Amino acid sequence: MKQLLKMSRRSFLLRSAAVGGGLMLEVTSPGYGSRYCFAAADKSPEVTAWVLVQPDDSVTIRVARVEMGQGSFTGLPMLVAEELGCDWRKVRAEYASTSEHLRRGRVFRTMLTGGSRSIRDSQDYLRKAGAAARLMLTTAAAQQWGVPVAECVAANSLITHTPTKRQVSFGAVAAEAAKLDIPEDPPLKDPKDWTLLGQPAERFDIPDKVTGKTEFAIDTKLPGMVYAAIAQCPVFGGTLKSVDADKIADMRGVIKVVPLEDAVVVVAKESWWNAHQAVRKLPIEWDFGENANVSSDSIMEFLREGINLEKAPVSRAEGNVDNAFAAADKTVEAEYYAPYLDQATMEPQNCTVLYTDQRIDVWAPAQNSEATAAVTAETADVPVSTVEVHKVHLGGGFGRRGLFIEFVRQAVTIAKTMPGTPVKLIWSREEDVQHSRYRPVALVRMKAALNESSEPTAWTVRQADHSIFSAIRPHLIRDGVDIVNVRTFADAPYAFPNMHMEYAMRNTHVPPGPWRAVAHTHNPFFRESFIDELAHAAEQDPYQFRRKLLAQAPKDLAILDAVANAAEWDKPLPEGVHRGIAVQDAYGSYTAAVIEASVDAEGGLTIHRVIIGIDCGYVANPDSVRAQLEGSVVYGLTAALYGEITIKDGRVEQSNFHDYQMMRIAEMPQVDVVLRPTGGFWGGAGEPGLAPLAPALCNAIFAATGKRIRSLPLKNHDLRKV
Amino acid sequence: MIYARCNRLPRRHVLIGILGSLVALLSPFFKVRPAYALPEKLIPLIREATGGIQPKAGRVKLTLPALAESGHSVRLKVQVDSPMTQEAYVKQIHIFSERNPRPVIARFSLGPRAGRAEVNTRIRLAGTQQVVAVAVMNDGAAWLATAEVVVTAAACVEGN
Repeated sequence: MKQLLKMSRRSFLLRSAAVGGGLMLEVTSPGYGSRYCFAAADKSPEVTAWVLVQPDDSVTIRVARVEMGQGSFTGLPMLVAEELGCDWRKVRAEYASTSEHLRRGRVFRTMLTGGSRSIRDSQDYLRKAGAAARLMLTTAAAQQWGVPVAECVAANSLITHTPTKRQVSFGAVAAEAAKLDIPEDPPLKDPKDWTLLGQPAERFDIPDKVTGKTEFAIDTKLPGMVYAAIAQCPVFGGTLKSVDADKIADMRGVIKVVPLEDAVVVVAKESWWNAHQAVRKLPIEWDFGENANVSSDSIMEFLREGINLEKAPVSRAEGNVDNAFAAADKTVEAEYYAPYLDQATMEPQNCTVLYTDQRIDVWAPAQNSEATAAVTAETADVPVSTVEVHKVHLGGGFGRRGLFIEFVRQAVTIAKTMPGTPVKLIWSREEDVQHSRYRPVALVRMKAALNESSEPTAWTVRQADHSIFSAIRPHLIRDGVDIVNVRTFADAPYAFPNMHMEYAMRNTHVPPGPWRAVAHTHNPFFRESFIDELAHAAEQDPYQFRRKLLAQAPKDLAILDAVANAAEWDKPLPEGVHRGIAVQDAYGSYTAAVIEASVDAEGGLTIHRVIIGIDCGYVANPDSVRAQLEGSVVYGLTAALYGEITIKDGRVEQSNFHDYQMMRIAEMPQVDVVLRPTGGFWGGAGEPGLAPLAPALCNAIFAATGKRIRSLPLKNHDLRKV
Repeated sequence: MIYARCNRLPRRHVLIGILGSLVALLSPFFKVRPAYALPEKLIPLIREATGGIQPKAGRVKLTLPALAESGHSVRLKVQVDSPMTQEAYVKQIHIFSERNPRPVIARFSLGPRAGRAEVNTRIRLAGTQQVVAVAVMNDGAAWLATAEVVVTAAACVEGN
């Protein structure tokens, strides 16, 4: 343990606290919380749990969520700093400790990062945390001067007594302020008075990432550390039958083989490569279970059964579709499909654990450090108070490690067999691609009616897909309908007078999971492509067709208009270049995109420009929101162009980036971001940008070629003109 | 002190016992509500389970994790201090949930031949809440224990 403590930044801090005297208990015995026990490295006092002010006026703001590239590590402190009235240049961010959080009654609320929720869910209490700290600092200054608090104002880390112009800095009164009660409900600034929020701010995490200084979980190095490589049963649901450990016993560095229920692990010295080489040579016998014959074709048949069921649970019913179809002048019917997708985080799943009799230290790239603590405690069968989760930036998350952190369970299981020795488990890229939690497959059949005036009168939808939450959050299933999976349809803002939508749950053996934007990845592709089909059937401009249907949805309409205007929708494009458009609301925000693309005689696709817009209400850091949309373009177009996980013999066929391809830099289009925050609400930014991309692209391809793309990815299609 | 509030559980509870300080001493990890405060909606269910007898705090040990990754599958153990003889045994153990759509999680029927007054299972919990275990003895007496479980939230899920 002593050795470990020399390693980490956290431990430096603990040691300094210990050397400071009197606080040794906090180091050795988690469970004895004190107001100062987790102060910043130089022991400056907390004003509140969120805000630490040091004597030189520098401010540390704690961040409870994780940075996985989305910019929260900067945006969240901005929320606090805006109300605190400190000099932003003196602010640094620091992760809030999970164990301290638990010890202090979940003082940091939730530590979960997901659902595009970091900013929108914590903006209220973080701004209040800043306002409370400002009030405390101001009160301390007023008490020092013997003047009424109301005569004092705080700005730029200075408190000024307005009548006498006396000034004192935050740092000078922080220690006194920390002794005051935290005000219950401090008033917040009117958003029009914000000086920091809404202005682009440089991100705290970027310089270290660019220079390679950032230590991700996979970079964890501890003295005496050993390495673990894993082979998991290739067929989901299969189990380990037997393993011949003797065969690899002589291989370089091999310490031991640890059999798990559905996997086997080799632990080796010196390097992970040693463990990896050994596990690849290890003779393993699996019991594949009952799913060894499942293939993408059989899954497709299973989905089709769902589509063809006479009846399925109803997710939305308005008006009378039968009458509308009977009276229709024209009907349009289409079936759409989207495949499984892997999140493919740049940093593969990994976890380092040091298990001792006193405590367990865990380094994991997980989106919810509280869940990491809970899983560790359960797996090791120890009280959660003995678990220390070391928070680090994630090399991507995308939903892969929000709800499913089996790599933590595995690493703790291994480490428990070797107390005192730090164990680092890394999944190879192949394990990562083949044992992910996949964006579910989905098959959807839609039908719509147009009357003689080419007005849409009815819309029916039958979805058949895999419910992520049926197994883990059954309360999200209502009367057979997965309320997450039906979004985009059941909450579609389009004003069809008659609608009937049904949901057929088709759960396969392939483990599903949230993939950035969850149902708002494939469902918008289905819906917005189909709306395009309808517009063409009605011989109307797809943009204007949507406008009419969105008359009662002002925010969707406004972002659609903003993007269409930015794209100069009405102006002709150069010869051969065509446009597609799509709109979607998701995660509390409103997005739209126009994509300009061309297809050459050989069917080669060029994406020239993406115009993507968002109204997320208020914006904390516009630079981050812009980056989120640009990143969404990379992630969303990658999926539309190449993303496909297929199943053969019960297992995933793809294994690495050669067959699970990412978009390359040369394919990257120009991206024009349209930020149109209208205020009055807080929407998400991490996920909604994905929604309109695939349909806008496929609608552009239709405009270019006359080919309607009804399944993804595009690599499977011959795009030559019909 | 809004920043120190541990969760947003309702405060509509009624007193039915006195075990608070002891449990509070044993549970320094989380700020728990006093153990004698039971969710109001469970009172009639508990009364029904015990045949109208007011359970006393004690003799029942309810073990649940203080923090659960998800509410999908949470380990639960109930142990009752009982010799489990013909003369004195546990007849029933009832588990109640404060927030589940179905508040009665489980009922176990035991007899002297069960040997041990202990049950182990896994339960589902719809979020952070209090769980109550009530043991009904063969002499009609009823005892209870409560536990607070914090369920960490779900990622990437809209609503709820």
